[in-house]
Amino acid sequence: MRCASSRHLLELHLDGELSAGESAEIQEHVENCASCGGLYERLEQLQSDIRKQVTRHRAPAHLQQNIQVALRKATASEPAARPVRWNWMAVAASVLLVASMAGNIASLRSRNSARNTLAQEVLSSHLRSLMGTHLLDVPSSDQHTVKPWFNGKLNFSPDVKDFASQGFRLVGGRIEYLDDRPVAALVYQRRQHFINLFMWPGPSSPSSGYSEMTRSGYNLVSWTEGGMTCWAVSDLQTGELEQFAQLYK
Amino acid sequence: MNEERKLALFDQTIVPHLNAAYNLAAWLTRNKDDAEDVVQEAYLRAFRFFEGFHGGDGKAWLLAIVRNTCQTWLRREKGTRSVVMFDEQTHSPELAKTNPEGMLLQKFDVGTLRECLEGLPVDYREVMILRELEEMSYQEIADVVKIPLGTVMSRLSRARQRLADCVAARVNGGLV
Repeated sequence: MRCASSRHLLELHLDGELSAGESAEIQEHVENCASCGGLYERLEQLQSDIRKQVTRHRAPAHLQQNIQVALRKATASEPAARPVRWNWMAVAASVLLVASMAGNIASLRSRNSARNTLAQEVLSSHLRSLMGTHLLDVPSSDQHTVKPWFNGKLNFSPDVKDFASQGFRLVGGRIEYLDDRPVAALVYQRRQHFINLFMWPGPSSPSSGYSEMTRSGYNLVSWTEGGMTCWAVSDLQTGELEQFAQLYK
Repeated sequence: MNEERKLALFDQTIVPHLNAAYNLAAWLTRNKDDAEDVVQEAYLRAFRFFEGFHGGDGKAWLLAIVRNTCQTWLRREKGTRSVVMFDEQTHSPELAKTNPEGMLLQKFDVGTLRECLEGLPVDYREVMILRELEEMSYQEIADVVKIPLGTVMSRLSRARQRLADCVAARVNGGLV
Protein backbone atom coordinates (compact mmCIF):
# COMPACT_ATOMS: atom_id res chain seq x y z
CA MET A 1 0.00 0.00 0.00
CA ARG A 2 1.19 3.49 -0.79
CA CYS A 3 1.09 5.46 2.40
CA ALA A 4 0.30 8.69 0.61
CA SER A 5 -3.15 7.36 -0.25
CA SER A 6 -3.71 5.62 3.03
CA ARG A 7 -5.17 8.36 5.20
CA HIS A 8 -8.68 7.96 3.84
CA LEU A 9 -8.35 4.21 4.11
CA LEU A 10 -7.25 4.54 7.72
CA GLU A 11 -10.29 6.65 8.49
CA LEU A 12 -12.61 4.24 6.69
CA HIS A 13 -11.08 1.50 8.82
CA LEU A 14 -11.49 3.59 11.97
CA ASP A 15 -15.13 4.27 11.14
CA GLY A 16 -15.93 0.65 10.42
CA GLU A 17 -16.75 1.35 6.79
CA LEU A 18 -14.55 -1.37 5.26
CA SER A 19 -15.33 -5.01 4.63
CA ALA A 20 -13.75 -7.55 6.98
CA GLY A 21 -11.16 -8.45 4.33
CA GLU A 22 -10.20 -4.84 3.65
CA SER A 23 -10.05 -4.08 7.36
CA ALA A 24 -7.73 -6.99 8.00
CA GLU A 25 -5.45 -5.75 5.24
CA ILE A 26 -5.32 -2.24 6.66
CA GLN A 27 -4.81 -3.53 10.16
CA GLU A 28 -1.85 -5.56 9.01
CA HIS A 29 -0.37 -2.53 7.25
CA VAL A 30 -0.89 -0.34 10.31
CA GLU A 31 1.01 -2.80 12.43
CA ASN A 32 3.93 -2.93 10.03
CA CYS A 33 4.27 0.65 8.89
CA ALA A 34 5.52 3.11 11.49
CA SER A 35 4.14 6.22 9.85
CA CYS A 36 0.66 4.80 9.14
CA GLY A 37 0.65 3.16 12.55
CA GLY A 38 1.39 6.48 14.23
CA LEU A 39 -1.27 8.29 12.26
CA TYR A 40 -3.83 5.62 12.95
CA GLU A 41 -3.08 5.78 16.65
CA ARG A 42 -3.67 9.54 16.65
CA LEU A 43 -6.93 9.19 14.72
CA GLU A 44 -8.11 6.56 17.16
CA GLN A 45 -7.07 8.73 20.10
CA LEU A 46 -8.95 11.73 18.72
CA GLN A 47 -12.09 9.65 18.25
CA SER A 48 -11.97 8.19 21.72
CA ASP A 49 -11.16 11.59 23.26
CA ILE A 50 -14.22 13.10 21.59
CA ARG A 51 -16.46 10.28 22.70
CA LYS A 52 -15.14 10.41 26.25
CA GLN A 53 -14.89 14.14 26.75
CA VAL A 54 -17.64 15.61 24.66
CA THR A 55 -21.00 14.60 26.03
CA ARG A 56 -24.22 14.63 24.07
CA HIS A 57 -26.71 17.33 24.90
CA ARG A 58 -29.69 15.68 26.55
CA ALA A 59 -33.17 16.93 25.78
CA PRO A 60 -34.74 18.54 28.87
CA ALA A 61 -37.70 16.59 30.28
CA HIS A 62 -40.23 19.31 29.55
CA LEU A 63 -39.35 19.23 25.84
CA GLN A 64 -40.80 15.77 25.42
CA GLN A 65 -43.96 16.84 27.20
CA ASN A 66 -44.27 19.95 25.07
CA ILE A 67 -43.85 17.91 21.92
CA GLN A 68 -46.38 15.31 23.01
CA VAL A 69 -48.92 18.00 23.79
CA ALA A 70 -48.19 19.87 20.55
CA LEU A 71 -48.55 16.67 18.52
CA ARG A 72 -51.84 15.87 20.15
CA LYS A 73 -53.10 19.34 19.54
CA ALA A 74 -51.96 19.07 15.92
CA THR A 75 -53.84 15.78 15.56
CA ALA A 76 -56.93 17.22 17.15
CA SER A 77 -57.03 20.30 14.95
CA GLU A 78 -56.25 18.82 11.56
CA PRO A 79 -55.13 19.96 9.12
CA ALA A 80 -53.50 22.92 10.83
CA ALA A 81 -50.34 21.27 12.13
CA ARG A 82 -48.49 24.38 13.06
CA PRO A 83 -45.76 24.64 15.66
CA VAL A 84 -47.38 25.41 18.96
CA ARG A 85 -46.22 28.72 20.28
CA TRP A 86 -47.43 29.83 23.64
CA ASN A 87 -50.84 31.27 23.28
CA TRP A 88 -50.33 33.89 25.92
CA MET A 89 -53.95 34.95 25.90
CA ALA A 90 -55.02 31.42 26.73
CA VAL A 91 -52.37 31.19 29.43
CA ALA A 92 -53.48 34.52 30.84
CA ALA A 93 -57.09 33.31 30.81
CA SER A 94 -56.09 30.15 32.66
CA VAL A 95 -54.15 32.17 35.19
CA LEU A 96 -57.18 34.35 35.75
CA LEU A 97 -59.33 31.27 36.16
CA VAL A 98 -56.96 29.78 38.69
CA ALA A 99 -56.77 33.11 40.45
CA SER A 100 -60.55 33.44 40.54
CA MET A 101 -60.74 29.90 41.84
CA ALA A 102 -58.31 30.74 44.58
CA GLY A 103 -60.87 33.32 45.58
CA ASN A 104 -63.58 30.73 45.32
CA ILE A 105 -61.67 28.35 47.53
CA ALA A 106 -61.87 30.89 50.34
CA SER A 107 -65.64 31.10 50.03
CA LEU A 108 -65.94 27.35 49.74
CA ARG A 109 -63.94 26.89 52.91
CA SER A 110 -66.32 29.18 54.68
CA ARG A 111 -69.06 26.74 53.74
CA ASN A 112 -66.87 24.11 55.29
CA SER A 113 -67.32 21.65 52.48
CA ALA A 114 -64.43 19.23 52.16
CA ARG A 115 -65.95 17.84 49.00
CA ASN A 116 -66.17 21.20 47.31
CA THR A 117 -62.64 22.01 48.33
CA LEU A 118 -61.50 18.77 46.80
CA ALA A 119 -63.41 19.53 43.60
CA GLN A 120 -61.65 22.84 43.49
CA GLU A 121 -58.29 21.18 43.96
CA VAL A 122 -59.10 18.74 41.18
CA LEU A 123 -60.05 21.54 38.83
CA SER A 124 -56.99 23.63 39.70
CA SER A 125 -54.82 20.63 39.07
CA HIS A 126 -56.52 20.05 35.71
CA LEU A 127 -56.02 23.66 34.66
CA ARG A 128 -52.41 23.77 35.80
CA SER A 129 -51.70 20.64 33.78
CA LEU A 130 -53.15 22.20 30.64
CA MET A 131 -51.16 25.37 31.07
CA GLY A 132 -48.37 23.35 29.61
CA THR A 133 -45.97 23.15 32.47
CA HIS A 134 -46.72 19.64 33.57
CA LEU A 135 -49.25 17.48 31.77
CA LEU A 136 -47.34 14.23 31.49
CA ASP A 137 -44.52 12.48 33.34
CA VAL A 138 -44.97 9.39 31.24
CA PRO A 139 -46.27 10.17 27.75
CA SER A 140 -47.56 6.93 26.29
CA SER A 141 -50.72 5.57 24.77
CA ASP A 142 -49.80 2.10 26.00
CA GLN A 143 -51.47 1.13 29.26
CA HIS A 144 -48.74 -1.48 29.81
CA THR A 145 -46.18 1.31 29.81
CA VAL A 146 -48.14 3.73 31.94
CA LYS A 147 -49.20 1.34 34.70
CA PRO A 148 -45.71 0.04 35.59
CA TRP A 149 -44.37 3.61 35.52
CA PHE A 150 -46.26 4.27 38.77
CA ASN A 151 -44.49 1.37 40.51
CA GLY A 152 -42.47 2.62 43.43
CA LYS A 153 -43.82 6.15 43.02
CA LEU A 154 -47.13 5.49 44.75
CA ASN A 155 -48.11 3.11 47.50
CA PHE A 156 -50.88 1.70 45.30
CA SER A 157 -51.16 0.59 41.71
CA PRO A 158 -53.72 2.51 39.67
CA ASP A 159 -55.95 0.69 37.24
CA VAL A 160 -54.86 1.98 33.84
CA LYS A 161 -57.29 1.39 30.98
CA ASP A 162 -57.37 2.55 27.42
CA PHE A 163 -60.60 3.33 25.60
CA ALA A 164 -59.17 4.40 22.26
CA SER A 165 -61.77 2.35 20.42
CA GLN A 166 -64.51 4.24 22.26
CA GLY A 167 -62.90 7.55 21.42
CA PHE A 168 -61.10 8.18 24.73
CA ARG A 169 -57.44 7.74 24.01
CA LEU A 170 -54.89 7.29 26.79
CA VAL A 171 -52.16 9.93 26.41
CA GLY A 172 -50.08 9.26 29.50
CA GLY A 173 -49.88 9.83 33.22
CA ARG A 174 -48.20 11.77 35.98
CA ILE A 175 -48.14 12.08 39.75
CA GLU A 176 -50.26 14.79 41.34
CA TYR A 177 -50.78 15.92 44.89
CA LEU A 178 -54.44 16.03 45.93
CA ASP A 179 -56.40 15.53 49.11
CA ASP A 180 -53.12 15.80 51.06
CA ARG A 181 -51.50 12.85 49.33
CA PRO A 182 -49.79 11.84 46.09
CA VAL A 183 -52.29 10.46 43.59
CA ALA A 184 -52.20 8.96 40.12
CA ALA A 185 -53.27 11.24 37.28
CA LEU A 186 -54.12 9.62 33.96
CA VAL A 187 -54.62 11.80 30.93
CA TYR A 188 -57.04 10.94 28.17
CA GLN A 189 -57.93 12.73 25.02
CA ARG A 190 -61.21 12.93 23.14
CA ARG A 191 -60.93 15.02 19.99
CA GLN A 192 -59.22 18.20 21.17
CA HIS A 193 -60.37 17.81 24.76
CA PHE A 194 -58.20 16.47 27.55
CA ILE A 195 -59.52 14.56 30.53
CA ASN A 196 -57.58 14.28 33.76
CA LEU A 197 -58.54 11.21 35.77
CA PHE A 198 -57.23 11.28 39.33
CA MET A 199 -57.34 8.22 41.55
CA TRP A 200 -56.22 7.23 44.99
CA PRO A 201 -57.26 4.56 47.49
CA GLY A 202 -60.09 4.94 49.92
CA PRO A 203 -63.23 7.00 49.97
CA SER A 204 -62.07 10.36 51.21
CA SER A 205 -65.46 11.60 52.24
CA PRO A 206 -68.66 9.93 53.43
CA SER A 207 -70.62 10.92 50.35
CA SER A 208 -68.71 8.87 47.88
CA GLY A 209 -71.30 7.72 45.36
CA TYR A 210 -71.27 8.82 41.75
CA SER A 211 -71.76 12.53 41.42
CA GLU A 212 -71.39 15.28 38.87
CA MET A 213 -70.72 18.95 39.24
CA THR A 214 -69.81 21.95 37.16
CA ARG A 215 -67.17 24.47 38.16
CA SER A 216 -66.14 27.50 36.12
CA GLY A 217 -67.49 25.85 32.99
CA TYR A 218 -65.66 22.58 33.55
CA ASN A 219 -67.38 19.31 34.32
CA LEU A 220 -66.27 17.07 37.13
CA VAL A 221 -67.46 13.61 38.00
CA SER A 222 -66.41 11.48 40.92
CA TRP A 223 -67.08 7.95 42.03
CA THR A 224 -65.56 5.14 44.04
CA GLU A 225 -64.77 1.77 42.62
CA GLY A 226 -62.94 -1.13 44.22
CA GLY A 227 -61.85 0.98 47.17
CA MET A 228 -60.49 3.74 44.94
CA THR A 229 -61.67 7.32 44.79
CA CYS A 230 -61.79 8.59 41.23
CA TRP A 231 -62.26 12.10 39.92
CA ALA A 232 -62.45 12.97 36.25
CA VAL A 233 -62.39 16.53 35.01
CA SER A 234 -62.63 17.99 31.53
CA ASP A 235 -64.21 20.67 29.41
CA LEU A 236 -66.13 17.89 27.66
CA GLN A 237 -69.90 17.97 27.87
CA THR A 238 -71.41 16.26 30.89
CA GLY A 239 -72.82 13.44 28.75
CA GLU A 240 -69.45 12.54 27.27
CA LEU A 241 -67.65 12.74 30.59
CA GLU A 242 -70.32 10.53 32.09
CA GLN A 243 -69.79 8.06 29.24
CA PHE A 244 -66.10 8.03 30.11
CA ALA A 245 -66.84 7.44 33.79
CA GLN A 246 -69.21 4.57 32.92
CA LEU A 247 -66.51 2.93 30.81
CA TYR A 248 -64.08 3.17 33.67
CA LYS A 249 -66.35 1.80 36.33
CA MET B 1 -53.57 6.19 7.73
CA ASN B 2 -55.96 7.41 10.38
CA GLU B 3 -54.67 9.99 12.83
CA GLU B 4 -54.61 7.74 15.88
CA ARG B 5 -52.70 5.02 14.14
CA LYS B 6 -50.35 7.61 12.68
CA LEU B 7 -49.70 9.04 16.14
CA ALA B 8 -49.11 5.61 17.67
CA LEU B 9 -46.64 4.71 14.92
CA PHE B 10 -44.94 8.08 15.22
CA ASP B 11 -44.62 7.54 18.99
CA GLN B 12 -42.84 4.26 18.36
CA THR B 13 -40.54 5.17 15.50
CA ILE B 14 -39.73 8.86 15.74
CA VAL B 15 -40.32 10.09 19.29
CA PRO B 16 -37.60 7.83 20.81
CA HIS B 17 -34.94 9.77 18.89
CA LEU B 18 -35.60 12.96 20.83
CA ASN B 19 -32.17 13.06 22.46
CA ALA B 20 -30.43 12.65 19.11
CA ALA B 21 -32.60 15.40 17.62
CA TYR B 22 -31.88 17.73 20.51
CA ASN B 23 -28.17 16.96 20.50
CA LEU B 24 -27.87 17.79 16.80
CA ALA B 25 -29.97 20.95 17.14
CA ALA B 26 -27.95 22.12 20.15
CA TRP B 27 -24.68 21.65 18.28
CA LEU B 28 -25.95 23.36 15.16
CA THR B 29 -27.64 26.33 16.81
CA ARG B 30 -25.12 26.49 19.71
CA ASN B 31 -27.97 27.74 21.86
CA LYS B 32 -30.19 25.66 24.12
CA ASP B 33 -33.35 27.73 23.76
CA ASP B 34 -33.03 27.79 19.99
CA ALA B 35 -32.41 24.05 20.03
CA GLU B 36 -35.66 23.45 21.91
CA ASP B 37 -37.66 25.56 19.49
CA VAL B 38 -36.04 23.91 16.51
CA VAL B 39 -36.68 20.41 17.82
CA GLN B 40 -40.31 21.12 18.58
CA GLU B 41 -40.82 22.62 15.15
CA ALA B 42 -38.97 19.72 13.53
CA TYR B 43 -41.17 17.18 15.31
CA LEU B 44 -44.31 18.87 14.08
CA ARG B 45 -42.90 18.98 10.55
CA ALA B 46 -41.92 15.34 10.84
CA PHE B 47 -45.43 14.46 11.92
CA ARG B 48 -46.91 16.37 9.01
CA PHE B 49 -44.65 14.55 6.56
CA PHE B 50 -44.84 11.22 8.32
CA GLU B 51 -46.61 9.63 5.33
CA GLY B 52 -43.28 10.15 3.54
CA PHE B 53 -41.52 7.88 6.03
CA HIS B 54 -41.50 4.35 4.67
CA GLY B 55 -40.06 2.49 7.60
CA GLY B 56 -36.35 1.92 7.97
CA ASP B 57 -34.18 4.23 9.99
CA GLY B 58 -36.37 6.68 11.86
CA LYS B 59 -33.34 8.38 13.37
CA ALA B 60 -31.75 9.40 10.05
CA TRP B 61 -35.14 10.43 8.70
CA LEU B 62 -35.83 12.64 11.72
CA LEU B 63 -32.34 14.12 11.86
CA ALA B 64 -32.60 15.18 8.20
CA ILE B 65 -35.68 17.19 9.17
CA VAL B 66 -33.98 18.60 12.28
CA ARG B 67 -31.06 19.68 10.14
CA ASN B 68 -33.29 21.41 7.60
CA THR B 69 -35.24 23.10 10.35
CA CYS B 70 -31.97 24.31 11.87
CA GLN B 71 -30.88 25.80 8.57
CA THR B 72 -34.16 27.61 8.10
CA TRP B 73 -33.96 28.76 11.70
CA LEU B 74 -30.39 30.02 11.43
CA ARG B 75 -31.20 31.92 8.25
CA ARG B 76 -34.31 33.43 9.79
CA GLU B 77 -32.68 34.30 13.11
CA LYS B 78 -29.47 35.68 11.76
CA GLY B 79 -31.29 37.58 9.03
CA THR B 80 -28.89 39.93 7.32
CA ARG B 81 -25.97 38.71 9.40
CA SER B 82 -25.80 36.09 6.67
CA VAL B 83 -24.72 32.66 7.76
CA VAL B 84 -21.49 31.90 5.97
CA MET B 85 -22.36 29.21 3.48
CA PHE B 86 -19.86 26.48 3.24
CA ASP B 87 -17.66 26.28 0.21
CA GLU B 88 -15.13 23.51 -0.09
CA GLN B 89 -12.98 25.66 -2.38
CA THR B 90 -12.59 28.61 -0.07
CA HIS B 91 -12.60 26.67 3.16
CA SER B 92 -10.18 23.93 2.42
CA PRO B 93 -7.09 24.99 0.46
CA GLU B 94 -4.92 25.47 3.52
CA LEU B 95 -5.68 21.94 4.57
CA ALA B 96 -3.83 20.49 1.62
CA LYS B 97 -0.65 21.89 3.11
CA THR B 98 -1.30 20.48 6.54
CA ASN B 99 0.90 17.66 7.46
CA PRO B 100 -1.18 14.80 8.76
CA GLU B 101 1.63 14.16 11.19
CA GLY B 102 0.66 17.46 12.74
CA MET B 103 -2.12 15.65 14.54
CA LEU B 104 -0.79 15.87 18.02
CA LEU B 105 -1.17 13.32 20.67
CA GLN B 106 -1.09 15.43 23.76
CA LYS B 107 -2.96 15.89 26.93
CA PHE B 108 -5.25 18.85 27.01
CA ASP B 109 -8.04 20.27 29.13
CA VAL B 110 -11.45 18.69 28.90
CA GLY B 111 -13.10 21.85 27.58
CA THR B 112 -10.65 22.22 24.70
CA LEU B 113 -12.09 19.57 22.42
CA ARG B 114 -15.62 20.78 22.96
CA GLU B 115 -14.68 24.36 22.20
CA CYS B 116 -12.78 23.36 19.09
CA LEU B 117 -15.73 21.27 17.96
CA GLU B 118 -18.08 24.20 18.56
CA GLY B 119 -15.77 26.42 16.55
CA LEU B 120 -15.79 24.22 13.44
CA PRO B 121 -17.68 25.53 10.42
CA VAL B 122 -21.19 24.13 10.60
CA ASP B 123 -20.73 21.69 7.69
CA TYR B 124 -17.74 20.10 9.40
CA ARG B 125 -19.42 20.27 12.79
CA GLU B 126 -22.52 18.41 11.70
CA VAL B 127 -20.69 15.44 10.18
CA MET B 128 -18.52 15.17 13.29
CA ILE B 129 -21.56 15.20 15.60
CA LEU B 130 -23.38 12.61 13.51
CA ARG B 131 -20.33 10.37 13.28
CA GLU B 132 -18.70 10.71 16.70
CA LEU B 133 -21.60 11.44 19.05
CA GLU B 134 -24.48 9.79 17.23
CA GLU B 135 -22.17 7.09 15.87
CA MET B 136 -23.89 7.00 12.51
CA SER B 137 -22.51 5.24 9.44
CA TYR B 138 -21.36 7.16 6.34
CA GLN B 139 -24.53 6.08 4.55
CA GLU B 140 -26.73 7.38 7.37
CA ILE B 141 -24.81 10.66 7.45
CA ALA B 142 -25.16 10.93 3.67
CA ASP B 143 -28.93 10.46 4.09
CA VAL B 144 -29.17 13.14 6.76
CA VAL B 145 -26.97 15.75 5.11
CA LYS B 146 -27.98 14.82 1.53
CA ILE B 147 -24.45 14.60 0.19
CA PRO B 148 -22.67 11.75 -1.62
CA LEU B 149 -20.78 9.12 0.38
CA GLY B 150 -17.44 10.37 -0.94
CA THR B 151 -18.21 13.84 0.37
CA VAL B 152 -19.04 12.40 3.80
CA MET B 153 -15.63 10.80 3.82
CA SER B 154 -13.71 13.89 2.75
CA ARG B 155 -15.63 16.22 5.06
CA LEU B 156 -15.07 13.99 8.04
CA SER B 157 -11.41 13.76 7.21
CA ARG B 158 -11.04 17.53 6.95
CA ALA B 159 -13.09 18.06 10.06
CA ARG B 160 -10.79 15.76 12.01
CA GLN B 161 -7.75 17.54 10.73
CA ARG B 162 -9.19 20.93 11.67
CA LEU B 163 -10.10 19.68 15.08
CA ALA B 164 -6.63 18.30 15.64
CA ASP B 165 -5.11 21.57 14.38
CA CYS B 166 -7.31 23.57 16.72
CA VAL B 167 -6.36 21.47 19.74
CA ALA B 168 -2.70 21.59 18.75
CA ALA B 169 -2.80 25.36 18.34
CA ARG B 170 -4.27 25.77 21.79
CA VAL B 171 -1.83 23.41 23.40
CA ASN B 172 1.18 24.96 21.66
CA GLY B 173 -0.07 28.49 21.91
CA GLY B 174 -0.28 28.16 25.66
CA LEU B 175 -4.01 28.79 25.55
CA VAL B 176 -4.75 25.69 27.51
